[in-house]
Amino acid sequence: MSPLLSMENLTGGYGDADILLNVDLHVDQDEIVVIVGPNGAGKSTAMKSVFGLLTIRGGKMLFDGDDITGWAPNRIVQRGICYVPQVDNIFREMSIHENLEMGGFLKKGDLTAAYDRVYELFPDLKERRKTMAGSLSGGQRQMVAMGRALMLDPKLLLLDEPTAGLSPKYMEQIFQICRDVRDTGVAILLVEQHAKQALAFADRGYVLAAGKNRHEGTGAELLADREVAEMFLGG
Amino acid sequence: MELLELLNFYVIPGIVLGSIYALGAVGITLIFAILRYAHLAHGDLATLGAFIALAVVTALGVSPLVALPVAIIATAAVAVGIDKVFYEHLRERPKIVTVMASLGIALMVRSVVQVVWGVDTQTYTRGIVRPEDYFGLRIRDRELYTVAAMLLLVGGLQLFLTRSKWGKAMRAMSDNPNLALLSGIDNKKVVMLTWIIAGGLCAASGFFLGLNTELKSMMGWHMLLPMFAAAILGGVGRVEGAVLGGLIVGIAEELSVLVIPSEYKAAMAFAILLFMLLVRPTGLLKGKVL
Repeated sequence: MSPLLSMENLTGGYGDADILLNVDLHVDQDEIVVIVGPNGAGKSTAMKSVFGLLTIRGGKMLFDGDDITGWAPNRIVQRGICYVPQVDNIFREMSIHENLEMGGFLKKGDLTAAYDRVYELFPDLKERRKTMAGSLSGGQRQMVAMGRALMLDPKLLLLDEPTAGLSPKYMEQIFQICRDVRDTGVAILLVEQHAKQALAFADRGYVLAAGKNRHEGTGAELLADREVAEMFLGG
Repeated sequence: MELLELLNFYVIPGIVLGSIYALGAVGITLIFAILRYAHLAHGDLATLGAFIALAVVTALGVSPLVALPVAIIATAAVAVGIDKVFYEHLRERPKIVTVMASLGIALMVRSVVQVVWGVDTQTYTRGIVRPEDYFGLRIRDRELYTVAAMLLLVGGLQLFLTRSKWGKAMRAMSDNPNLALLSGIDNKKVVMLTWIIAGGLCAASGFFLGLNTELKSMMGWHMLLPMFAAAILGGVGRVEGAVLGGLIVGIAEELSVLVIPSEYKAAMAFAILLFMLLVRPTGLLKGKVL
C-alpha cells in the first residue's frame, strides 16, 4: 500500500534560503509519526512545507494519490490535511463551539456529526462549549485547536509542538488524545520538542538535523540508538 | 439648574449626537479590527450618504426616512467600489500607506459632493419642528428616529456577528487572521462584507446628522475626530464599545458647553481621545492595542 503522505527529496524554504535539504519522509494511514531534532533543524519547516506555507524548490509531495506540491493551503485543507500551528492556534474571543464552527467553515451542510465526533474526543470541551477559548488553560486551548482542525474530517492532522509549554500531566493527555484520534482513522504528523516522550509514544519517528534526514525508525529503535540519544536527546 | 432643563438642553441632544457618532464609530472599529488601519475617509463617506438621501428626497419628493435605505445601499456600494479600485491594491503594503490613501479618498469624495451638490447649506425639510412633551422631557420625532435607528442597526449587526456564519467569519478574521485563512475563510468576502456594513452605517450616520442639523459638504469631516474618539474610547474592535463610546463623546460634547465656550465643543472629543490613549489605550471594553 502506498503511503498516505510522502515527501520525496524535498528542498525548500522561506524566500531565497533553503531550510530543508532533500528531505524524505512518509506517513502511512493510521499511524502517528513524529519529527524530532535540535532547535533550528527545520522540524516545523518540514511540517509547514506539507501545508504549502513555503517555497518548494525541489522534490515533490504526494498525498493520497495526488501530487500536492505547491498547492495553496485552502486547497490542501479541502483535500484532507488540517494544520494546527504551535502558537495563536485558537480564536481567543470566540467560544469553544464557535472555534469548532470556524474549523468546519468549508464544510457544506450540517455540522452536527462533526461536532459530535469532536466532543466525543474532548468531553471537557462539550461541557464548556459556550466558554471563550481565550480564558482556557494551555492544555484545553490545545484541545480546542485540535478540535477545530478535526472539524473537516481530515485524513491527516499536522500538529506543530502540541505539548509546548504544557505540564507533564497535560502532555500525557494530549498524547493520549492523539492515539484516540489515530484510532478514529486519522493519521498524525507532529513535531515535538520533548523528543524522548514523543518517540516513546509515536509509531515512527524521524530525526532531522540541519534540514536533513539523519535517522528514521520506530520510536523504540530511535530511542535505543546511541547516536540519536547522544546527539539529540541529551544522553 | 433644574434636572429637566439639564436633560432637555444637554443630555437629550447629547444622546442624539452620540447615536450619530456611534453609527460611524462602529464602522471605524470594524475596519480597524478586520483591515487593521484607520479609515480617514469615513466622515466624508457619511457626507456622501447624507447627500444621496437628499437627492432621493428632492427627486422623488418622498419623506427623508424613505430615502435612508436607498442612501445606505448606495453608500455601501460606493464603499465596496472604493476598496476595489484603491485600497485593495495597497493591501500588501505597510498600513500607513492605506491610511494616507484614505485621506486622499476623503478629499476626493468631498470634492464630488461639492461639485454635484454645491457648498451651500441644505436641509431635508424646511420649517421648524416643535418638540413633543413627554412628562416634561421635550423630544422631537426625528430625535426618537435617530436613537431608534441606531439601536436597530447596531442590534441587527450584533445579531449578524454572533449568529450568522459569515458574521462569525468576520469576528474570526478580526481575532486571528492567520488561523481564519488556515480554516479556509475567504478573506476577500470578509473584506467586502466589512465595507458593505461600514459604508451602510456611514450613510445612516450622515443622514441623521443632516436630519437633526443641516447638510454641508464639511459635515462628515467634522465628525471624523469624535467618531475616532468614540471607537478608541469603546475599545477597538468592540461594536458595543463603539456605541458606548459614541454616546459618551456626544453627551460630553453637549455638557462641555456648561463649562467652556461652545466654540470649543469639538475639542472635547480630542481631549477624550488623548486621555484614553494615555490612560487606557485598550478602551473601556478592552479592545485591541494598535
